[in-house]
Parts: sequence; structure tokens; C-alpha cells
Amino acid sequence: MTPSATLEIVTRFGTFTVDPDDIVTFAHGLPGFERCRRFVLVSAPALEPFTCLHGIDASEPSFLTLDPQRVVPGFHTPLADADRRRLGVEREEALLWLAVVHIDDATARVNLKAPIVINPRHMAGLQVMNADTTYAADHPLDRD
Amino acid sequence: MLVFTRRRDEAIVIGDGIEVRVLRTGKDAVRIGVTAPHDVPVHRREIYDAVRAANQSAAAVPVASLAEVAARLRLHPQLEPVE
Repeated sequence: MTPSATLEIVTRFGTFTVDPDDIVTFAHGLPGFERCRRFVLVSAPALEPFTCLHGIDASEPSFLTLDPQRVVPGFHTPLADADRRRLGVEREEALLWLAVVHIDDATARVNLKAPIVINPRHMAGLQVMNADTTYAADHPLDRD
Repeated sequence: MLVFTRRRDEAIVIGDGIEVRVLRTGKDAVRIGVTAPHDVPVHRREIYDAVRAANQSAAAVPVASLAEVAARLRLHPQLEPVE
């Protein structure tokens, strides 16, 4: 098999080379960016400890994300049956969870209330919207 | 906006395969059942709007130095990276 051609992705955090296999499809985009259906997962030493979720359609939104386990060990949020079907989750398979990070001059916060979940087997993702989670949408990340 | 009067157990049909049914009525709240195809996401308006606002705000953040930000975070070690 010939290796697939790499893509050069220009983000506001720098320019990175990614593999087309790292493209995730969000069938309905993300709330606020409904017309951007394809995002690429960018991991690089320069981005550590974040993973950049960079849109490659429409307005090309770009997010910094974190593994929620690194914020709250044992993080768990239920996935509704409808969402499992949308992602093609067939059994207890490993899913990739990402929490959207918000940074300003004073604080860094992470949205644990509406995490992004990706089924790596299909590279399909969605943002979970829970009505009754106890996790915060603005969980603080800074040291005290 | 189309406006309907519906009683308990009555429904409206939207397009192909979406049904909105009144299950129970109360003084200040109405319990509604939505039947929709699997590929049609259904959300509570205020939750969707809150996530949209949070996403737009997160995507708009200008970042000067990631290393500087990362240094001040309180994070736990990564246990099992997902392949």
C-alpha cells in the first residue's frame, strides 16, 4: 500500500503536517460551526499538552482540546443510544474524548459539560449535549 | 411561525418521519415526545445555544504563547493514550 499524501494545515498556533487519516467527520458540524463538517486532529510537540481540532471546511474554526481524563481523572459522561448509533459504536470500543479549551489573558477553562467524542474506527465525531451532567462548561484549569 | 393548538396525546408531523407529540400538560410545563430519524439530532434550544456560544468563544481566542499557557495548567498525567 502506498502511503497517503500528507496535508499541510495552517492554524493560528502554527503550521503542521497531518495525515489524511486524521480527518474526522462531524455529520452536523459543531454548534456554532454547523457548515464545517470535516476537522483534522493535530497533535504536535509544539501544541503539548493540547490537541488542536482544526476545521478544514467553511469558516475553518480551530479549537484547542484536552483529554478530559487529564483534567478530572475518571471523567465519564454517558453516551445516548442515538449518539452511539450516529458514531457507529457497536460494542464497548475505545472512544476518543476531547474537551474544548477556552483561554484568555487571565484564565484557562475547559468545557467538560459538552465534550467531543470520536469513534476512531469510523473517524466520526459529535459534541455531546447533556441536559443533566454535573460537569461544568467552564471548569478552571489554572493552578491556584 | 406556524401555531397549533394540540391536546394531550395529539401530535404534529414535520416533513418525512418527524413527529412531535404532547404527552402531558401541566401548569407551567408541557411534556413533549419527539420521534425523528436517527440522523436528525434533537436538542433542547437553551442547551444548544449555550454550547454554540462556548464554541464560538473558544474558537475566537487569540493565543500568544501556548507554552506559557501550558505551564500554568494543573493537569493529571496521561494514562492510556487512545490509538
